[in-house]
Amino acid sequence: MSFTWESALEELKRRRARARELGGERRVQRAHDQGRFTIRERIERSTSWFSEVGELAAYEDVDATGKVLGTLPASYVCGLGEFDGRTVAIGGEDFTVRGGAPQTYLARMKGGLGGFVEDLAHDYRIPLILFLEGIGGDVAAQAEKGYAYLVSSLSMMRPFELMSEVPVLGMVSGASAGGTAGRTVVTHFSVMTKDSVMFAGGPPLVKRALGIDVDKDELGGARLHTSVSGGVDNLAEDEDDALEQMRTVLGYLPQNVWELPARGDRSDPADRIVEELLKIIPENRRQPYKVDRMIKAIVDAESFFEVGPKWGRSVTTGFARMDGIPVGIVASNPRYLGGAIDAKAAEKQIRFVDTCSTFHLPIVYFVDVPGFMVGTEAEKASTLRWGMRAVQSLIFAEVPVITVHVRKAFGMAVNATSNPDGLGLRIAWPSGEWGDLPVEGGVEAGFRREIEAADDPAEYRRLVEERMLAMADPFRTAEHFGVEHMIDPRETRAVVCRFLNASMHKLVTTLGPPQRQWRPGP
Amino acid sequence: MATIESDTVAVVWKVLVAEGDAVEDGDTVMILESMKMEIPVEAEESGTVSKVHVEVGASVAEGDPLVTLG
Repeated sequence: MSFTWESALEELKRRRARARELGGERRVQRAHDQGRFTIRERIERSTSWFSEVGELAAYEDVDATGKVLGTLPASYVCGLGEFDGRTVAIGGEDFTVRGGAPQTYLARMKGGLGGFVEDLAHDYRIPLILFLEGIGGDVAAQAEKGYAYLVSSLSMMRPFELMSEVPVLGMVSGASAGGTAGRTVVTHFSVMTKDSVMFAGGPPLVKRALGIDVDKDELGGARLHTSVSGGVDNLAEDEDDALEQMRTVLGYLPQNVWELPARGDRSDPADRIVEELLKIIPENRRQPYKVDRMIKAIVDAESFFEVGPKWGRSVTTGFARMDGIPVGIVASNPRYLGGAIDAKAAEKQIRFVDTCSTFHLPIVYFVDVPGFMVGTEAEKASTLRWGMRAVQSLIFAEVPVITVHVRKAFGMAVNATSNPDGLGLRIAWPSGEWGDLPVEGGVEAGFRREIEAADDPAEYRRLVEERMLAMADPFRTAEHFGVEHMIDPRETRAVVCRFLNASMHKLVTTLGPPQRQWRPGP
Repeated sequence: MATIESDTVAVVWKVLVAEGDAVEDGDTVMILESMKMEIPVEAEESGTVSKVHVEVGASVAEGDPLVTLG
């Protein structure tokens, strides 16, 4: 049959309509029944326009014996879209087509896991938004290729490269397993709806490998990943909440590392005196305070968004704005482990500091740290290695770091709060206390022999403590310029805003990829 | 029935409620001592205390039940 415009366009229309049917009515209905959207609905709901790439990619659907049943659209939908006013590369697995298994037999895999959509984000230097719902590789792909392929034949370079180029944000709704789960953790921010699951291998695989019956929520539920493992940063009530969180996070970040993040509005006065701080921080040093209340009082009104609120809780991390400048906030949280940095808190801090450094957000660190976490569990978790990596990440951060000393600052952990090889600007409140060790335990450890040998050990200990406590007076440190500045806490916002504004002159000269590559862990 | 669990390794320092007491969302029901800090434990909903699981001086681990509201 010879070519006619009419028949060719008719065929194009037919194929496009087919793509929109996804894996078929029954499977789409199943997703809806479980309170989830399909990939096409997710993209439609989150973008103001979407220009799809590879709409016609499809494959022959065959049964286990090889009999052709018909055609199905490819299991990945992607393209260019406008997300909260920003041009982004956007895509996701279609769970209604073979559980979203990657189709390694399609050219460039079409999208996902290093496919076209990641090339688009890299080449155009635009953020990448991923909807991660898929089972990872499946045995059926083997039948399509005609041979068992080595997974290592797939390049994984792009996902890691993107981490030092453009914001990568991921949402899990449904199940994210195997390769899709792996892709989920290589993001700057991830969010998971509360009834979702994520794991390297699901319950059937665990049963085969370990002989253990485990429920999928118990194995990799959203609560587990957002409060214990930290594999995903934040928990979301539903997909709308997850999308809102992604929009909020992208709002603090630039399009890429070659641009500065957009400054927000400056309606909250930079020199606002924060009177309530004296109420928020109790005078009794044994009483903790709500660290989020302290942060919210200081940063621009309504601008704080906490990242990873439920895991690694002894360190609080989140984005905020100060005089409109997007900043990364890191703060010790005395309500959990007294603010001691354990392995998980260190991991969270590293991940957040690296993200801020990559996208040129200055860091403001509020310190109240009694040290690295101690105890058997802490040693088993290799708190030392993670803690020292937290020190490294802050020293290597290529952005200004402004440190505010709230209360305690003891031991090596303090090295993870400012950088003496940079400007090392440390601003203390008169409530600050610091040293190698707290005086109480430190005197016992340092002068044990002398105390034991004394005629009245208790009295001797008291005298030593008294002398050491007098030297621990923060004003003495300020006299020796051992801390750069001491201020009334109520002036904190004003002082930090001035230094942040001044630091912008430097920030614009350091745009571009980080000198060191981003690493998701040591 | 909602059970408030300890979210940290700690020693029970003060118990502020008894069985039968009515508590409001946000009320402090217990104070734990951990890392030399007094950590308030707050109710996350209103209700009546049906069981206090621990006594002053008890050691608790993460996830241990503290107070059940009926």
